[in-house]
Amino acid sequence: MLTGISLTVPSDERMLETVQVFVESVGLAGGVASDELTSLSIAVMELVRNGMKHGNSMNPEKPLVIRADALPGRLSFQVEDTGCWQPDRDMGYRPGEGAELLDVRGRGILIARNLAKWVEFDLTPEGKTRATLIWPLT
Amino acid sequence: MKIHEENKGTVKVIRLIGKVMSGPDLMEVKTAFESAVNNDFKRILVDLGGVSWMDSSGLGVLVSGHTTVSRAQGKMVILNATKKIHELFIITKLITVFDTFNDEIEALAALEG
Repeated sequence: MLTGISLTVPSDERMLETVQVFVESVGLAGGVASDELTSLSIAVMELVRNGMKHGNSMNPEKPLVIRADALPGRLSFQVEDTGCWQPDRDMGYRPGEGAELLDVRGRGILIARNLAKWVEFDLTPEGKTRATLIWPLT
Repeated sequence: MKIHEENKGTVKVIRLIGKVMSGPDLMEVKTAFESAVNNDFKRILVDLGGVSWMDSSGLGVLVSGHTTVSRAQGKMVILNATKKIHELFIITKLITVFDTFNDEIEALAALEG
């Protein structure tokens, strides 16, 4: 049983591939089907990059924590940054319509929610932003 | 990620290989689009057949390329989007923006048309 696994990385885009490999490794060990691992890592990585960018302003001195836990029938991933941004308010729901489709950014949460089915945001007891993603095991 | 470029007549073919994720590599892709247009290539074929992983940043750079080419009165098409990338196109509605093909000859013909 996977419980309390965590990875802490600096908010640096060069760490993204390391996190992606970590997420897929946890997913594989946790029972995610091999053909779903890419979708899982894309979904989690959207939250990771948002946390680095919007929560931590891509400041390498600000850590990003990714926690993974196995729950009955599902895996839970939590991404904690050091900011207190409000993703749903700040990012809205994209892609929108018309010319908005040609925006170069703003699709991350939409993708994460569609791939994972369950993504929510709240604050840690310290008041920092935390994203929780639940991945059901089939 | 690697970028392979080749010219097929008046068409610039840009083939992306590997993981397309946020970082300096994406700037190289953006520059490839801009360079193609600046060198009078108005027809761009982007081959995603070698892409093993892509996130919203990768989609963003494709949109950027599409805009760059469109502003130059050109046309860009996507070739060999994997099932996973196609799923992302649908989620984000970009399937309504990009012309996608699974056959290079058909893609080239669409650009010539």
